[in-house]
Amino acid sequence: MTDITTVDPLITETADRLLSQTCDHESIQRAEAEGGAPEIWDAFAETGFPWISISEEAGGSGGSLLDALEVLRLVGYHAAPIPAAENGVLAGWLLGASKQEIPSGIATVVPSPGSQVTGILSGDEVVVTGVAERVPWARAAEKIVVLLEIDSTNFVASIDQDLCEVKPMTNMAGEPRDTVSFNDVKVAACPAEPGVSPESFRFRGALSRSALMAGAIEKMSQLTVTYTNDRIQFGRPVAKFQAVQQHLVWGAQDAALARMAAETAAREANRGDALFEIAAAKLISNQAAARATKACHQAHGAMGMTQEYPLHHLSRRLWSWRKEYGGDAEWSRWLGEVAVAQGADALYPLITGGSSTLR
Amino acid sequence: MVENILHRRSLDASASQNALIGRVLREYIVPDLYPFAIGLGMVGPALLAHGTVEQQEEWLRPIASGTAVWCQMFSEPEAGSDLANVALSARQDGEEWLIEGQKTWTSRAMWADWAICLARTDPNQPKHKGLTMFAIPMEASGVEVRPLMQMNRDAHFSEVFISNARISDKWRIGEIGEGWRVAMTVLAHERAGGGSRGGGDGSARGSQLPSWIADIQTLNDLSSIQREDISAVYSHDTVSRWTSQRAADEARVSGAPGPAGSGAKLRTVRSYKGRARLSNLSAGAHGMLESGHGYIEVMTAPSMSIRGGTDEIQRNILGERVLGLPGEPRLDREAPWNESRKGLL
Repeated sequence: MTDITTVDPLITETADRLLSQTCDHESIQRAEAEGGAPEIWDAFAETGFPWISISEEAGGSGGSLLDALEVLRLVGYHAAPIPAAENGVLAGWLLGASKQEIPSGIATVVPSPGSQVTGILSGDEVVVTGVAERVPWARAAEKIVVLLEIDSTNFVASIDQDLCEVKPMTNMAGEPRDTVSFNDVKVAACPAEPGVSPESFRFRGALSRSALMAGAIEKMSQLTVTYTNDRIQFGRPVAKFQAVQQHLVWGAQDAALARMAAETAAREANRGDALFEIAAAKLISNQAAARATKACHQAHGAMGMTQEYPLHHLSRRLWSWRKEYGGDAEWSRWLGEVAVAQGADALYPLITGGSSTLR
Repeated sequence: MVENILHRRSLDASASQNALIGRVLREYIVPDLYPFAIGLGMVGPALLAHGTVEQQEEWLRPIASGTAVWCQMFSEPEAGSDLANVALSARQDGEEWLIEGQKTWTSRAMWADWAICLARTDPNQPKHKGLTMFAIPMEASGVEVRPLMQMNRDAHFSEVFISNARISDKWRIGEIGEGWRVAMTVLAHERAGGGSRGGGDGSARGSQLPSWIADIQTLNDLSSIQREDISAVYSHDTVSRWTSQRAADEARVSGAPGPAGSGAKLRTVRSYKGRARLSNLSAGAHGMLESGHGYIEVMTAPSMSIRGGTDEIQRNILGERVLGLPGEPRLDREAPWNESRKGLL
């Protein structure tokens, strides 16, 4: 039985080693040029990492959500060009919560189905129609999973990718974010268990992005410290200049802030719903990403803008992830509305006690 | 600067008429003069200040007419912000110079006919003193241009490798050992920028909405927060343009651009970044895509505060030359370059 408040160190050590061996500058560049990195995914999948937090009975690898999010942090840290978040924490969660089979290939999710895709019940089947945008790695997936609200009931549709029309698109980091058309695709109607809703799915998406972003900001900060200590101008390493040190401090602060927020949200989410912590973590990660990419790019000078230097693998991912599962405005509004609804006297308890005060 | 050059060889325009031409041009959407910007905006004025009459005769007309494209070979792998650390060497051999070394971040190098090139002619002098400026024909044997791919997938910068290129002494600009002074003229004109880029986006007329705001408006109904953000960038933009115009007028009166160009560059960069951020974020999740709104601008934005002198260098110039603050300690100022080049600390 996994302890639900700590991460299994064996998992993180193994994941860190595997990702640092497979995700070097060349392999990430190649994945971007070729639209995927099947060899990195295969190595990752061989160890069972993509299915952590999905119970073994359901066909997963077991382990807690905390373990899965820690692996995602490492995926972000190494800028691993694989759909780790989609497969386990998102699609895997939806499939497990609707008692459906976990495929051996990649499972991905439609990030914002409500506005784009609709389902109609027809006997014991759901007919799915619509065009979903920005679907991660749809081109490489075996199953495309969609959460559909039909007559106030939530259904999880697990759709064979080859029944869909996939148009390759990419995000700023060159990661696949494809446009997928569903033309009256029929699949088994599988209702989701209580607690699974468009809202909880959106929070879970934000939680996955916070973990990825915390890792990427940390790596970016470390790269910047190393580079500025190596780079000599005016007779000394540029890291000796106060103006440059200020950038380094921003990078390090934001790395610490984003990681703390992501870990707090992960720990609370592992216990139960963690709406306040997740909303706060995504907003903090978004803002930290903006500040840290700015500071780290500036400290690197022109070298950081080239394809041959790895900084852009991280900064472009952060700019993309920042806009997925809620930008700054969406989470600011959510937090603001909750704070206002609770009233002035509840504000401090909300900040210190978090989601437990909302239950 | 177009006007300066034309003035010298054909139009008899006064300095204030020049200013007026530049101002009017910026009010209209006119062709982008990007390929010619180094020649028009930087090399031309530097030749007027430091070139011989023969050099002006040979180079100014092709610059003005657009038949010769120039690039600027200043930066090197070890000489970025610390420009005076250039290592590319020029060794005199009778009436010729032998050039050997590497330049980097050379924009337009792939299509340039000429380069204005800062070279080290005496490594035993302190770093600012052993430099000399040359014009190098890009087709000279021994000059190799390799494009550098940037993160926005653009490749307008290049590395330039020069091995044993021979160039004539008549292509030396300024005296031997005076390269830093010529370089400062070139850079002051780079910071002053402005007129050599041709027109604006038409928004300076004030009567029409700037295109970037009109663009954002097509994406969604603007929230009050977006309106506030847009107004802040627009006001900054407008004040920045007025201030640049004032600095340009002052430069024309005094005959040379001053440190005000550094302030202008800082403000222009801030405007660019503000516009890029607003356009991209206004597109919501769609702004994440390569096909999304403001993609190129977001990918390019971090470089704006680096290229042409970083924000930190511009602030140093303002601090020391405008505010009169004590200078940064410069340990390597007096030491011979061949001792100081790898760092004294």
